[in-house]
Amino acid sequence: MIHLENVSKVYPNGTEALKNITLDISKGEFVFIVGPSGAGKSTFLKLLIREEKASFGKISVNGRDLMTIRKGRIPYLRRTMGIVFQDFRLIDKMNVFDNVAFAMRAIGEPEKAVRKRVAAVLKIVGLEGTENRRPRELSGGEQQRVSLARALVNKPEILIADEPTGNIDPELSFEIMKMLVAINRRGTTVIVVTHEHELVRTFGGRVIRIAEGELDSDHFIATRYNPEKSSPEQAGDEDQTTEPSPSSDDTDPSSEAANIADIDLSEESTAGSDGGQPEAAEPNEATAEDIDEDIEIKDGDGQ
Amino acid sequence: MSFSSILYLFKEGFRNIYNNRMMSLASVVVLISCLIITGSAALISVNVNSIIASLGDDDQITVYLKPELSDLNSIKLGPELSAIKNVESYKYRSRDDVLKDYKKALGDDIYEAMQGKGNPFGNEYKLKLRDLSEYDETVAAIQRLDGVDTVSDRSDVAGKLTKLNYFVTVVGLWVVLVLAVVTLFIISNTIKITMYSRRFEISIMKSVGATNTFIRIPFIIEATVIGLVSGIIASAVIISLYEPVRSAAAGVIGMINSSTLSAEQIWLPTLLTMSLIGIAIGLLGGIISMIRYLNKEGGAILGK
Repeated sequence: MIHLENVSKVYPNGTEALKNITLDISKGEFVFIVGPSGAGKSTFLKLLIREEKASFGKISVNGRDLMTIRKGRIPYLRRTMGIVFQDFRLIDKMNVFDNVAFAMRAIGEPEKAVRKRVAAVLKIVGLEGTENRRPRELSGGEQQRVSLARALVNKPEILIADEPTGNIDPELSFEIMKMLVAINRRGTTVIVVTHEHELVRTFGGRVIRIAEGELDSDHFIATRYNPEKSSPEQAGDEDQTTEPSPSSDDTDPSSEAANIADIDLSEESTAGSDGGQPEAAEPNEATAEDIDEDIEIKDGDGQ
Repeated sequence: MSFSSILYLFKEGFRNIYNNRMMSLASVVVLISCLIITGSAALISVNVNSIIASLGDDDQITVYLKPELSDLNSIKLGPELSAIKNVESYKYRSRDDVLKDYKKALGDDIYEAMQGKGNPFGNEYKLKLRDLSEYDETVAAIQRLDGVDTVSDRSDVAGKLTKLNYFVTVVGLWVVLVLAVVTLFIISNTIKITMYSRRFEISIMKSVGATNTFIRIPFIIEATVIGLVSGIIASAVIISLYEPVRSAAAGVIGMINSSTLSAEQIWLPTLLTMSLIGIAIGLLGGIISMIRYLNKEGGAILGK
């Protein structure tokens, strides 16, 4: 699904943001991209969505060669992806429904399909009944769920979350992560760039660490998260200190997240064929403790 | 593209105008000023040409022959006059015909006394010229012919009209060019500001796979509407002021009323031309800024 071979990116000012990266991400994988600030994580994402073109190497996404893709075809590549931003990027002049519908309208989807699919996706993220509310009237967690709904509404094959929990409280971060895991269980490949090692430790999966533009490590760690249990305390990590969701959330996202895999996104199901474990690449096995060291996040560097 | 998409794009275009109303208003005002000056210059030029054409319908030059020149020699001058390059046609009038013109003014007795050898007038020719701007050269060529006494002098009118037409055309063209550049600048800045103010939405549109064409359409609609509205308002101003200005000018130069175009004749061409020019300038200004913006800063999605 995603293939990088000896990929390097050198910016016009001479900065070598990525050096000789080779990796594969298979369909249905859940991948964390970690690394310190300035390591090249954003450049990595920019290459995937073809906001930037790699300087050297081979890179393909969803069968499209990003080194030779014509400019006019890039939008169609992006239609196979959903992006969740750290700062939510919601349009405050629009209500929740229109914010989510914006993604469909922007690619010329008919209004009938817009109405149907937006309602379905808002149900998936547990925001039913908030259609007419403005983003500023929502909590940070709810705003990120609107952003998630917008990323999902065009039925992407790959969901890219760029620091999705960077602007929200730790307890809400957990809920957002649970949703991403649930979305992944539907067969969508999920790539999460994060600084938050606790989330990585809890949810596990494949962890790719980029440092100084190089692929520093590529591990697979076991998850401590049990989707059958709905709160962080129940997720398998007895040391967790996170609190339940604040009462400002109208709905309980925990239960919604747990049910995502059972909800149809639209008139036609977009779930993965089996919804089971992805056909992952072959990363090295590592323990949660290993990954703690790998992530190297200093306290207070929550950016 | 579905009907709902078209509807959506139009809605977005009008929303741009509303959200960016001060800049839109500035663009409309500047474009209206430009179009009023352009339209006025064009109408003056058209009307001056119409006056010149109506002058051309008359016999433009009267060539007075010397009274002592015999009728035979007078008639022989006809082909010589015709041979002059700028002379389109000629008409011979005998001294008796000329005297008849004054019969009423002279009274019957004097008229009778002036018949025959007492006729002080010479024979004459009425000439029609091909190009009034070569009036002076043509008169000089006529005066070089033997037997020609004087040539009627309407060079002042011809010269003034030719100069006016030249002035209106050249100066008008420069004014229009300068204003067109200013207007293009203002409109392209308006669209650039709109795009900048919507950069957030544009980055989201790009992230979900909207094509550049789809992103551009609302801005094209915005620029087109600004141009169209300016064109319609400018033509309304010109059309409503046309008749009063024409009447006022007719008070100074009588022939203006009969030789110029009426408001009924000019309103539709003015409206159509102004609207089209407005749309063209709006579109051009919009396209210039959009291409630059979307290829540069507007291409960012993650923006870090």
